[in-house]
Amino acid sequence: MTVPLSQMWTVATYVLQQKLKGQARYPLVLMLEPLFRCNLACAGCGKIQYPAHILKRHLTVEQCLQAVEECGAPMVSIPGGEPLMYPEIGPLVKELVVRKKYIYLCTNAILLKEKLEEGMFAPSKYLSFSIHMDGPRQEHDESVCREGVYDEAVEGIKEALRRGFRVTTNTTLFEGASPLRMRQFFDEMMDLGVEGMMISPGYSYSKAPDQEHFLRRQRANELFSTMLARAKRRWRFNQSPLFLQFLMGKQDFECTPWGNPTYNLFGWQRPCYLLQEGYASTFQELMETTRWDQYGRKSGNPKCRDCMVHCGYEATAVDHTFSSWRGFRDSVVATVTGRL
Amino acid sequence: MTEERSVEGWSPTIGAGVTLDEVIDLAFDYRGDVTIVRRDGTEVVGYVYNRNRDVPEPFLQLFDPTGASHTLRYAAVRTVRFTGKDTAAGKSYEAWLRRKAQAEESAPLA
Repeated sequence: MTVPLSQMWTVATYVLQQKLKGQARYPLVLMLEPLFRCNLACAGCGKIQYPAHILKRHLTVEQCLQAVEECGAPMVSIPGGEPLMYPEIGPLVKELVVRKKYIYLCTNAILLKEKLEEGMFAPSKYLSFSIHMDGPRQEHDESVCREGVYDEAVEGIKEALRRGFRVTTNTTLFEGASPLRMRQFFDEMMDLGVEGMMISPGYSYSKAPDQEHFLRRQRANELFSTMLARAKRRWRFNQSPLFLQFLMGKQDFECTPWGNPTYNLFGWQRPCYLLQEGYASTFQELMETTRWDQYGRKSGNPKCRDCMVHCGYEATAVDHTFSSWRGFRDSVVATVTGRL
Repeated sequence: MTEERSVEGWSPTIGAGVTLDEVIDLAFDYRGDVTIVRRDGTEVVGYVYNRNRDVPEPFLQLFDPTGASHTLRYAAVRTVRFTGKDTAAGKSYEAWLRRKAQAEESAPLA
């Protein structure tokens, strides 16, 4: 498992501070969506189906920074839409680095090489390009509904690494994924030299075109158990080992819907990154007026029943690490030994 | 896969089997522009991005095509017409597979 030590330290001290303050609900990663526009239309995505006048709009840098300030989370993930299509992405990243926020810029990498050649970004320990890679070439191109995107992404990864940037991959898995091919994919990504990989089952967005291929919970456990069995030591995952154990069915976690709050054109999204049940105008309003007990598996909410996505459970895994000696020990052992 | 039926083009009459709350919920869930008909007969077209019934004066919010945000109280709304194109409709996975297969058939052999 690799997350840089400085980032681990920042997250650990932040979580402990929240616990010392008695803060029961705290954000871990701000999901900042400056726009919904994208240069792909992936079958599993429910984020980009909007009228043209909405797709043309984007947040200002000031609005983004205000959200970062309000939220206070130590990490900021910038999904979208495609953030490299956001005209202010360079200045936004620069401002976030100044504020010492650990940034995951989630991109399909189609524009990455071009933007790097333009000198839009400077390498920093705070900035990581999180490249969307849904498996080997065939699976990825199928997932993003366009041929050739895998190769473009690989080019982008190589260019970013050559220039000294941190690069991680972000993989969403759907029904039908082959554990064997995924293991080969992990090898390929390690051969490329990425810092770490993030994996998660997909969420069945009600607006996503493909509803048939989302993993149900038991199937997800089977898939991840097979895929991560005897995980190779060379595989590095940029996420909590306890979350990976959860995906394998070795941990029983409840969702932390406030762990990755989402801010976009419409405001603070209730309750989480995946469900759009309304918007709050401030972060405080989101935290204080959302009926959190209506979400998560225990709530019985059918929309949450099969969800195992990292934006809900990674925060649980991190919180678990710092909530008990057992959680801490499990996390340290898995991190040090690489055993899941 | 079953294709969800779209409400695109629907002009509901409130009270005739459907309540205003239900229609506003559908408008909030709709991924296209709608026309809000106010009680005074005036109309506003836009994308409904928020609604809140859990407050003393329930309201909805929309962006019109110029980017201006409007907040309207439920009490001021007569009905909602689903006048814009449903951007989430007709984009099924099967449709994408069909397009892909057609593209492969029409592509020259290597």
